[in-house]
Order: sequence, then structure tokens, then C-alpha cells
Amino acid sequence: MSTPAAHVVPIFATPFGVVTLPDAATLNPALAALFTARTSPQWREANGAPGALTFRSRDDLLEWPEEPVRRVMHGILAGVRTVAGSISELTEREFAALQLEARAWFTLVRPDGCVPSTSYPNTSWLAVYCVTAAEASQARVDSGVLRLHESRLLTMFQDPTQGGVRLPYRSGHCTWRPVPGEMAVFPAALTHEIALVRSSGMLALISVRARFVGSGGAWMPPW
Amino acid sequence: MVTPAVTLRPAFAVALGTAQLSPCERLNRELEALFLAREDDEHRNPMPSHIPQAETFESRFNLFRWPEPCVQELRKFVLDTVVATVREATTLAPGDFARLKLHNHTWFHITRPAGSFISHNHPMASWSAVYCVRAGEPVPGEPGSGVLRLLDPRAGAGAYADPANTRLHPAFAVTPIDFRLTDGQIVVFPSYLFHEVTPFYGRDTRITVATNCWFA
Repeated sequence: MSTPAAHVVPIFATPFGVVTLPDAATLNPALAALFTARTSPQWREANGAPGALTFRSRDDLLEWPEEPVRRVMHGILAGVRTVAGSISELTEREFAALQLEARAWFTLVRPDGCVPSTSYPNTSWLAVYCVTAAEASQARVDSGVLRLHESRLLTMFQDPTQGGVRLPYRSGHCTWRPVPGEMAVFPAALTHEIALVRSSGMLALISVRARFVGSGGAWMPPW
Repeated sequence: MVTPAVTLRPAFAVALGTAQLSPCERLNRELEALFLAREDDEHRNPMPSHIPQAETFESRFNLFRWPEPCVQELRKFVLDTVVATVREATTLAPGDFARLKLHNHTWFHITRPAGSFISHNHPMASWSAVYCVRAGEPVPGEPGSGVLRLLDPRAGAGAYADPANTRLHPAFAVTPIDFRLTDGQIVVFPSYLFHEVTPFYGRDTRITVATNCWFA
């Protein structure tokens, strides 16, 4: 009997975009200095997770007047548009007519700090931009990575063929190592975390919640 | 406006059992001494399913086959608690349930400062449990230290939020559930439930025993 030809395709795929900002080398040192100087309580997000090793700012970064912040936010929002547009079936004109709403904050993660797993309601895309990265850790390979939790409905039954499948079919979490100047863009409903930083140096991130509003002024829940 | 009579009940509920071994001090002392003495390569899980951490020791999965009296005493308490939880949750007749054979994989974790365990679940098992031998010291200012977190299985259900679905009674809330385990406490839950242990910031050790059970 001949071996039948099989056509296998991924279904239920999750978009994950990586964007490099062109001005990062210039902007990042200024951003890092600015963020480090603004870790007093007045800049802290009131409902942020407590803990001395991780600082999360208020989510008003888009209103900051400082030039490096305005430029990086411009680049980040453009990147979000690019990622969302790249998989959209809207026409270019229809997509261009959408209004982008966003809220942004910075997070500083010191050694032994982390960002607990979370997701964001009433938001379509999350962008995580890396300003500075902690050093890589030889002892813990997942130190400081962005970890996206498995989101597909999984079977609890396993046999050897299901346990050893390759990407993109393998079940399990996905990780992305923040690199200064790069940002990850993914659906905001995905549960994600920043794994414990187990090396020296500080991880500085900008996170942006984003959603698009139709030109007809469709209702959106408050966020 | 007419106020209709509504019958409200939880649907798609997750069965969660908790119990407390009391007293637990002597047993936990003996278990702790035994586990610390066997925190070595001979007893380490040779095939970890997740990336190992230097700060978290995971034993082989044969713990309940150890003959030491303290282990056998714990085995009875843990498996009796699992059985009691399933008996409460199942519709099987008592006689049918009693004829099932309970199998288990059981191991211990010793977690030191900065140790954690990535979120995971346990395929090919029906019920899982975690028993706390030593909770580890609480850390002021770090309320999330060393927490056993059960993740809500209704993925995506919280992606739309408005005032009418964000302040629900606990039975209906879409949110993870955190357990700051105490010495002698056991939590039993379905093995499909994703769970994790958050980074432990205490200066001492956090010691737990975990089991996966299946019935045939």
C-alpha cells in the first residue's frame, strides 16, 4: 500500500509580531534615565502588584511631553498598526480609517523581580517594548523572558505522538526574550508574564494596551 | 418593572477540596528532615517535564513507595483526602467507586529563595493535590511570595469587562485563585487545571508534596 500524501496546516493560530524600532539606540538611554528617575510613589500605578523589586508606572505615558517618550510612543503605535494590519482582511483604506486608542506605562524589573501572569480586558493588542534588558542568566534560561501561556483548549489525553509534536503544533507556553529596541505585539487576552529576572541589570519595558475603533464611532467599554 | 424569580446556580464549576492535617507538626518535622537528607542526585527527578531551576528541587515521582513511616503516614492522609474529595464530587455509586484502584505519582519540592514553578497541568491524570510540609516564611511587602495559584480555566472569558461582570460573587468570578498554603494544609483539584507557584522570597525553604492520581 502506498503512503498517502497528507496536507497539514496550522489552525487556531495566534498572531505574534516582533517589531524593531529604528530610533531605539538613540531613544533608549534617555528613556531609561527618565524612567529610573520617576520611581517615586507619585508615578506608581495605584493598583499595581505590590513588591519592592518591580515598579509599574501609571498608564499615562502617552500624555508625557518629553521628546524621547513621544517619539518612542509614535514608533510603538505605528508598530501595533503594522502588526494588526498585516493580518487584517480589511482594505487598506478601511484599516487606515480606524482610530487607535491606547494606554501605556513603563515597568522596571530588578533582579529577583517579575511581573505576575495577567491579561487585559477590553483591549485587542498588547505591545511590550524593551528599553533595557537584564543580562542573560546561565543558571536560569528563562530569566526575564516574556512568557505567553498556552491558550488553546487542550486534551488531557496524551500518547507518544501527541507528546512529541513540533512547532507550531506543540502545546505549551511560548517565550520571547526582550531585546532593547524590539517589541512584541500579541492579543491582549493572552495570559502572559515576565519571568523572574535571575541576573544582574534591570529590565525596563514599555507596555501598551491598544484597541481600534471604527470610524462610525462604535461603542467601546471604558478601560 | 416586574422582578422575575430567577434560579441562579454555578455552571461549569471546578471541584476544589481542602483539608487540614491536625496536628501536623511532628509529621512535618520528620518529613522535612527526610526530604532535606535526600535532596541529592539519586533522588532527583531524572526526567523533569519543565526547565529545572537550581532553586527548586524536584524528587522522583515514587515518593509514596518509600517505606519510611512518616511517608506512609502522609500517603494515607493525602490519598484519603483525594478519595474523600472525589467521593463528594462523583455520581458513581459508593460500591462502584470503592472497586476502583487508585494510582498515583507523588513527589516533593524543596523551594529556596527565588524558586518558582511555571504554570502547568497534568495530562493523563484526573485529580491532583498539593500538601504543605513547610510554608516558608511570609515576606512583608511581597504578598505574592510562594503562592500556589490556580488559573481560571475559562480562558478569554475575562477579555470583555464591564461593571456588571467584574464584581461577581466568588463562585462566578473569572479570576485566578491564590493559596498561601499553611503547614499541614492540602488542596485537591482536577488535574486539567493549570496551576503555578509564584517566586518564593522567604529566606528559608518552602516544602510541598504533590500527587497526581488516576483511577482504573
